[in-house]
Amino acid sequence: MSMLSGKTAIAGIGATEFSKDSGRSELQLAAESVLAALNDAGLTPADVDGLVTYTMEKNPETEVARALGMGNITYFGRVNFGGGAPGAVVLQAAMAVATGVADVVVCYRAFNERSGRRFGAGVQDRGTEPSAENAGYAWYTPHGIVTPAQWAAMTARRYMHDSGATTEALGAVAVAARRHAATNPKAWFYERPITLADHAESRWIAEPLRLLDCCQESDGGQALVIVSAERARDLPQKPAIIKAAAQGIAAPTAMMTAYYGDDIGHLEEMTLVADQLWADAQLSPADIPTAIIYDHFTPYVLMQLESFGFCGRGEAKDFVRDGNVELGGRLPINTHGGQLGEAYIHGMNGVAEGVRQIRGTAVNQVANVENTVVTGGAGVPTSGLILGADG
Amino acid sequence: MTSETSSSSLRPPLQASEVAIDDELPPLEIAIDRTFVIAAAIATRDYQDVHHDHEAAVKRGAPDIFLNILTTTGLVNRFVTDWAGPHARINKTAIRLGMPAHPGDTLTFTGTVTESADGVVTVSIDGTTARGSHASGSVTLSLSAVADSGDQR
Amino acid sequence: MSQDEHPGLTREQLDPFAGKSCGPSRQSRDPIAPSDIRSWIDAIGDTNPIYVDDDASMATGRSSVIAPPAMLQVWSMAGLGGTSKSTTQDPRKELFALLDDAGFTSVVATNCEQEYLGDAVPGDWITTSEVIESVSDVKDTGLGRGHFITTVMSFTASPDPLGDGELIGRQRWRLFRFAPKNRGSGGQAGGDSDRPPRPRPAINRDNAFFFEGTLAGELRIQKCDSCGTLRHPPSPACGACQSFDWSTVAMSGRGTIHSFVVNHHPQVPAFDYPLVVALVDLEEGVRFVAEMPDTDREDVAIGLPVEVRYRKQEDDLVMPHFVLAEGSSQ
Repeated sequence: MSMLSGKTAIAGIGATEFSKDSGRSELQLAAESVLAALNDAGLTPADVDGLVTYTMEKNPETEVARALGMGNITYFGRVNFGGGAPGAVVLQAAMAVATGVADVVVCYRAFNERSGRRFGAGVQDRGTEPSAENAGYAWYTPHGIVTPAQWAAMTARRYMHDSGATTEALGAVAVAARRHAATNPKAWFYERPITLADHAESRWIAEPLRLLDCCQESDGGQALVIVSAERARDLPQKPAIIKAAAQGIAAPTAMMTAYYGDDIGHLEEMTLVADQLWADAQLSPADIPTAIIYDHFTPYVLMQLESFGFCGRGEAKDFVRDGNVELGGRLPINTHGGQLGEAYIHGMNGVAEGVRQIRGTAVNQVANVENTVVTGGAGVPTSGLILGADG
Repeated sequence: MTSETSSSSLRPPLQASEVAIDDELPPLEIAIDRTFVIAAAIATRDYQDVHHDHEAAVKRGAPDIFLNILTTTGLVNRFVTDWAGPHARINKTAIRLGMPAHPGDTLTFTGTVTESADGVVTVSIDGTTARGSHASGSVTLSLSAVADSGDQR
Repeated sequence: MSQDEHPGLTREQLDPFAGKSCGPSRQSRDPIAPSDIRSWIDAIGDTNPIYVDDDASMATGRSSVIAPPAMLQVWSMAGLGGTSKSTTQDPRKELFALLDDAGFTSVVATNCEQEYLGDAVPGDWITTSEVIESVSDVKDTGLGRGHFITTVMSFTASPDPLGDGELIGRQRWRLFRFAPKNRGSGGQAGGDSDRPPRPRPAINRDNAFFFEGTLAGELRIQKCDSCGTLRHPPSPACGACQSFDWSTVAMSGRGTIHSFVVNHHPQVPAFDYPLVVALVDLEEGVRFVAEMPDTDREDVAIGLPVEVRYRKQEDDLVMPHFVLAEGSSQ
C-alpha cells in the first residue's frame, strides 16, 4: 500500500439533495450526482474512463455512462458488502489511477432507499435458492432476526455488557450527530437537534437499540472523482490526497453476523483496516482533528473509536462524554451530521464530508484539518480512508 | 332392524298441555374427554386435525383439541329429544357458536320453553362450560312426528 | 386495528358473490347405512330409539327408523383426505382472496342453523348443494373487524342414486372473516392457521444435515474428521486443518446466553413481538442463534442457562428454539 500513498486524490464531490422521497428514478439520482461531482472537479463526462460502485448498486455502469454521454470506459469494478464499501471504492479507483489503468475514475452510489426498497425492512423475503449467501441467512431469518438493526443489536448487547457502555454513551453519539446536522442545510435533520433525554425516551427498535440509535433511510446519490495527485493540483478544487485506503476481512468477519469470534464486541476487520491506514499514512490518532465514523448504529461508533485507537478498548463510553465528539470537543466526528443526521448514502456522503474538511469548506469546519479518517460500515467486511491536505 | 325398545315401553308423547312457557328442561351434563371429542368427530366424518390431533390444535393456537360443530348440533338435538321424547320431531335448530369445548370441560345444556302453540314448541337452549358459552340458540319442534304435514315418505 | 388499516370491502365488491353457487352439487359416496347411524348415536350418546329401532320408530308414527336430523351434513362430508369441499369453481376462493388482501385473514364459524324439512332413512342417497347467501358490510366485533359470510346448503334424499331427490333440509352456515385484534388469537375454527409462514431457511448441500437433525430432534453440529474441531455455521472445509472430511455430532442442547436481542420493529406478521432472540454458547463450545419465543424479555440476561426445544414449522421443517433452563430465573 505504501506504493499508493499520496499518489491520487479526490478532486470532485457531488450529490443530489438528501430526502425521504426523491420523486425521480435511482438512475437519475446517479446521473445527477456524477455530473455534479464532475462539475465540481472541473471535468466533463468525456473525461471519465473509470467507474467504481457497490455490488448492491442498481444503476449499471453502462446506463450511467450512456445517460451522461461518457466515452470509452477502460476500468470498472464493484465492491461487495454494502456499507463496508465507501473506502474500498476509493481504493479501487486509486489503484486504477495509480497504475495507469484509468485517468479519471468516478465512484457513485445512488438509491431511493427510503421511498423505494427500504433496507430497514430487512431480508424477510430472502429466497431459498441454495446459494452460500442465502444459506448463511438460514441461521437468522427463520428465527425472526431479519433486519440490520436486529443483527447489530446482538453485537451491541454484548459490547455494552463487556464494556459497561450504557444508553447514555450511545446517546452521546446520537446527540453529536444531530447537533452537527442541525447546522447543515443539506442534512435531513437540519435545525432539529436532540437531547440525551430525547434519545433515552425514543422507542425500541431492537433492544438495546432505540430509534435514535439507528441511521436514517434516505433517498439520494453521492459521487466522487478520483484522479492522480498531480492532475488534481491543476484542477479547481483543493485536492484531498488519498494518503491511505484499506479494506479488511478478518477471521471472524461476517456480513452483520460476526457472532462466533472470541470477542464479538471487538471489530477485528476494522482494527485490520485501522492498522493498515496508520501504517501507510504514517500517522497516528493524535494527527487526526476530526473523523467520519460510519454511524449506521451508535454502538458501532464506540467500537470503531476503539479500533482506531482514538481511545483504549472499552473506553469509548467515557471518550464520547461531555461533548468530546462534538464541534469544539477533542475529536468532533461526523461533522455533516452523519448518517444519523444528514443522510444514509451507504457512507459515501461521509467521504464527501472528509473531502470538505480537508478543503476547509465544511459547514461545520474544524480548524486546521491536515488529515482526516473516514470509515466504512462496521460489523461487515469493511474499508477506510485517510485523506489529507497536499504537501 | 332389531327391536331394542319394545313399543309398549316407549315413552308416551309429550302433550301440548304438559308444556308451558318458561318450563325448564332437565339439564344435560356432558363430561368431555378426549375419546368423546375424537369419536364424535369421526362419527360426523370430520377429519380436521384440530378435532383429533393435540399437537396440531396447539400449533393452531388452541389449548387442546375441541368439539366440532356438527357434534354440538347433535348434542343440542339430543338434549331436546331427551326431554320431548321419541314422538317429537325437530323442525329447526339454530345455534350461535361461542367458546370451544375441550377435553376436561363439562358441557352443561339448559333449556327453557319460550313458545308453545298448536303442538309446536320453541326451546331456548344454552350450552356452557367453565370457559363461557359454548353454544346458544333455539330449537323448534313438533311434539308429534305426525301432527303436521311433515314429510313421511 | 384502526379502521384506516381495514376499511372493509365495498358493496360493489361484495354484491356479485350473493346467490352464487359454490360449485356443482355433490352426492354422498354411499347410501345411508345403519352402521353409520349407530356410530353417530354411540358417540353423541343419543338413546332416542327412532334412529335404530323400526318398531319403536313406527310406534311414533314414522314409517321406519330415520337418520338423526343433525346428521344432515354428515352424509356429504368428504371423509379422510377428502378435498371435495373446495372445487376450482368455488367462488368462495375468490371471495376469500379478496378478504385476505383487505387484511381479513382469520376465520371463525359463528352460526349454524339447520332446518329439517323431511326425514332421511337408511338406503337414501343424499345430494348436497351450496350457495353464498350474503356477505355483510364490515362489522366490528370482540374478535376484530371483518365481514360475515353466510352460505346455505340444501340437502335432498333419494333411494335411487340417479333419481331426483326430495328436499329434506337446509343448513345455513355463517363465518366471520376478520382481522384479529391481537395477533395469534385463534378462533374456534383455528383462525391462526391463516398467519403467513415464517421465513424458510435456504437449505443446501452444506447445511442440509442440520435440518435433517432437527427433524430427528437433534441439534447437529459439524465436526472435522481430521482434527476434531466443531464448526458453526457449517462450512464444506475445516478452517483449522483444511480437511473436507466431516461428520456431525448431536449437541446436548444446553448452553448459556452470550448475547440477545429483543425485536420490536419492524414486525414481520409471522412472529409475535417483542421477540427475544438469543446467541447461545452451547456447552460443547460452539455458538448458535435461536429465538426464545416463550420467554419474557424481562427474564432474559447474558449468562443464563438455556435448553433447546423444537417446534414443527412446516411439514418438512422443524426449527430449534431456546427456553430458560429450570431454576434459572433471576
